[in-house]
Amino acid sequence: MSTQKLKEIITKVLPDVETVICWQEGFDKLNVTPIFITSPEQVDKVVWNAACAQNLASYLPSQKKKVAVVVKGCDSRTIVQYMQEGLIDRDNVVIIGMPCKGIISKKKVQKAVNNEPVEEVTFADDSIKVKTPSGEKTIAIKDVCPSKCTTCQYPTPIISDHLAADAIQSDKPADSVYADVAELESKSLEERWAYFSKEFDKCIRCYACRNACPMCVCQDSCIAETRDPHWITQKLSFDEKLMFHMIHALHLAGRCVECGECERVCPMEIPVAKLKKKINKEMKELFDYTPGVNPEDKPPMFVFNVDEAKIKEHKL
Amino acid sequence: MRVGVFICHCGSNIAGTVDVAKVAEEARKMPGVAYATAYMYTCSEPGQKEITDAIERDKLDRIVVAACSPRMHENTFRRTIMKAGLNRYFFEQANIREHVSWIGLDKELNTNKAIEEVRMAVEKVKKNKPLFSSSFKINKRVLVIGGGVAGMQAALDCADGGLEVVMVEKSPSIGGMMARLDKTFPTVDCSICILGPKMVDVAQHDLIKLYAYSEIAEIKGYVGNYTVKIKKKPSYVDWTKCTGCGLCMEKCPTKNAYDHFNFGAAPTRAINIPFPQAIPKKATIDPNYCRQFVKGKCGVCAKVCPTGAINYEMQEEFITEEVGAIITATGYGLMDIERLTEYGGGRYPDVITGIQYERFLNASGPTSGHIIRPSDHEEPKTIVFVACAGSRDKSLGVPYCSNFCCMYIAKQAILTKDHIPDSQSYVFYMDVRSPGKGYDEFTRRAQEEYGAKYIRGRVSRIYPKGKKMVVRGADTLLGTQVEIEADLVVLGTAVVSAPGAAQMAEKLHISYDTFGFYVESHPKLRPVETNTSGVYLAGACQGPKDIPASVGQGSAAAAKVLSLFSKDMLESDPAIANVNINTCVGCFKCLKTCPFQAIVEDTLRSGKKVAKVIETVCAGCGVCTSTCPCGAIQLQHFTDNQLLAEVNVLCQK
Repeated sequence: MSTQKLKEIITKVLPDVETVICWQEGFDKLNVTPIFITSPEQVDKVVWNAACAQNLASYLPSQKKKVAVVVKGCDSRTIVQYMQEGLIDRDNVVIIGMPCKGIISKKKVQKAVNNEPVEEVTFADDSIKVKTPSGEKTIAIKDVCPSKCTTCQYPTPIISDHLAADAIQSDKPADSVYADVAELESKSLEERWAYFSKEFDKCIRCYACRNACPMCVCQDSCIAETRDPHWITQKLSFDEKLMFHMIHALHLAGRCVECGECERVCPMEIPVAKLKKKINKEMKELFDYTPGVNPEDKPPMFVFNVDEAKIKEHKL
Repeated sequence: MRVGVFICHCGSNIAGTVDVAKVAEEARKMPGVAYATAYMYTCSEPGQKEITDAIERDKLDRIVVAACSPRMHENTFRRTIMKAGLNRYFFEQANIREHVSWIGLDKELNTNKAIEEVRMAVEKVKKNKPLFSSSFKINKRVLVIGGGVAGMQAALDCADGGLEVVMVEKSPSIGGMMARLDKTFPTVDCSICILGPKMVDVAQHDLIKLYAYSEIAEIKGYVGNYTVKIKKKPSYVDWTKCTGCGLCMEKCPTKNAYDHFNFGAAPTRAINIPFPQAIPKKATIDPNYCRQFVKGKCGVCAKVCPTGAINYEMQEEFITEEVGAIITATGYGLMDIERLTEYGGGRYPDVITGIQYERFLNASGPTSGHIIRPSDHEEPKTIVFVACAGSRDKSLGVPYCSNFCCMYIAKQAILTKDHIPDSQSYVFYMDVRSPGKGYDEFTRRAQEEYGAKYIRGRVSRIYPKGKKMVVRGADTLLGTQVEIEADLVVLGTAVVSAPGAAQMAEKLHISYDTFGFYVESHPKLRPVETNTSGVYLAGACQGPKDIPASVGQGSAAAAKVLSLFSKDMLESDPAIANVNINTCVGCFKCLKTCPFQAIVEDTLRSGKKVAKVIETVCAGCGVCTSTCPCGAIQLQHFTDNQLLAEVNVLCQK
């Protein structure tokens, strides 16, 4: 239904833009990859289902001409943040919003079918039917969704020019967003250190998290790999791994839009986003700021203020 | 690379608690170090010769001196190595005095720490790059902020030295606190009689441009080239037409306006000329009281003004001035009397402040020089002065001495006797502080010739009893309680920083202490300079000061500006931010965070957009460096790699 509407919208906007960035089926039904539509014949390849996990907004800053992009609610925060940071020109982007009830995590689905080869997937409203050599299995989306969907506050894109389906209201409580961080905070220093040591030690420094991150703007200049400045070496030691993740987290302070791409792409299943969420929570408490929500906001790390309301540097 | 390390004994300052010979011995083992020695006073002439000789003899190309703070001698040693032919940025100073020898007594630990400091400096100096300053022209105009006696002195001295001066005064008239005084200590000469001619000189000087009733909105730029945005507050009177005749003030029906000039000693009119000698002598409407503004109708002043100068529609106006140096003479403020609750400050009309009393004494004051009790306008016979009302009181956040209260209280006691011969003054004091020339004689005269009774002790409470105010306090010399029934109580309220002092400091990029007083560059040797070159201090903005000290500082600040302007070109500091255009990704986070607006967008020939630093505007604060995610913008002489070299050598054993 909404796929049809989406195709109609794409056909409509295509003449005005260089390309429309959307999803298409990958090598199997579980894998969805991006498609850059430039001609009307390609429109039929477009898919919309719970496997459309990738945040397509990430492609926007590198586009030189006017483009259209299809975004889910969570992805739309990326666009808002790009606007706040001046990384895109809003006039050069046509936003096609796709209200979303939750997506699936490929890894979780594979685990649910004991890593058997997936032959066929059919998508229903809130479940998927997976066919494997040992038979068919129906799985509820909420059981295999990434953690971001369980606390989703923005099922409908915050900003859009066209909506491909009716808007959906969030049914998740707002205070659930940082519940996992609060739980982590309640642990002792030793427990937290043990937790992060174990997780970050798994890192193989493939930089997939960094490459997938829509807010990592440095591209080839990432200081994880430069010699000037030479912050970290290429050694695969725990110290260097930890330092890399610290750098990544701090560079995203007040910028992370919690799209979860870093976790989605991590081959080692490290909860990469947790540290960033923790910092987001701090930013919320300190500056009353949530990244990627209001295009008019100014990210607190992008301004120089002599006095901050909640930081008592100057007593006078 | 051949590094030379020189360890200074600094007499016993360092050598007393640091084994300097061992530090030198360890330094010799550090990679890259070709020569290391310890010397009694490295900053002395033979000490410096030791360095230049070693550079020549041992072909040294980098120098580390382990001695005092670089704030003391960095420039000395930079000049030394420059003389020997090295770039002055091939020098590092390890601070093993303030950071090591002065703060610890354990010689072994100190020696270890000194070795670490030297190790860090050696690693840093090896990463140092030669830097060169460029020179730029200076704008030989000076801005004086504040038209009190210190600012006026500074302005007159600068102008007499041939400099163009822009003076900005926030109130409608120059003159500051001194213009409010009746007499000055210790000579008891008329304050306005000696200040008035100076005010006239300021007004009539060809080279002084005065902006009264104006404030500093914004300061941009750097030493030699500042752009200052001045906000002219609306006076609602066209000053080009106003003749200062005072007719408007006479006819104004609003008689309860707060009198800022008299510190509220008595109410005034909503349209007001602060005092007869005011410069400029122009009227100003207070829109908080004026009926035209409060009620929307009146217009009496507009009707009576013979020149039609009244303009209720006047808006604030912004003027831009270009200057090369700034003298800050923003003065002081007084503690709010209501904070002194035990003295009934603000609650009892007969408990007043010293400056209000001064206005009563003054012939041009609200009572034409007659001392009265504000409650019933009767002449008081018993007057109690309370010194240190708020000062030297940690609980009120004013642990310091307000400097001149002892003296003005003695003066007011003398004047009281002159005005009311049958009066009796009492002075409660903690200590009488009168160290100036002729000051102690003056306070003794108040006691011995004018019969003021000095009681050493603090006042615990002041409360009304009939028409009298009972002042209860301790006499610590007699060890008893005393109670005096006074007609009038005068509080020597604490001197605090001027209102808005902190905000002004932020605009000027100068530092201020926890009390809001501006911090001088060195408490003894650079008393009128700030750590921001081109910005100087005069008067009580730096700390409570009496008139002679303020005038002295005004002249001193002027001398500093004149010597700065004696050159036509200034050298820029090359330790500023620099963009690596190859790695800059053009996110422009730096542009948004730069407190000095020193970064602009630049388009390369390839079409790539990168950040660009305006060399002369950059102050080298480093905010951009910590903002840049990819390390493309680096503060020269403090690059990431230079600092990481220090950290690494400290952490990697």
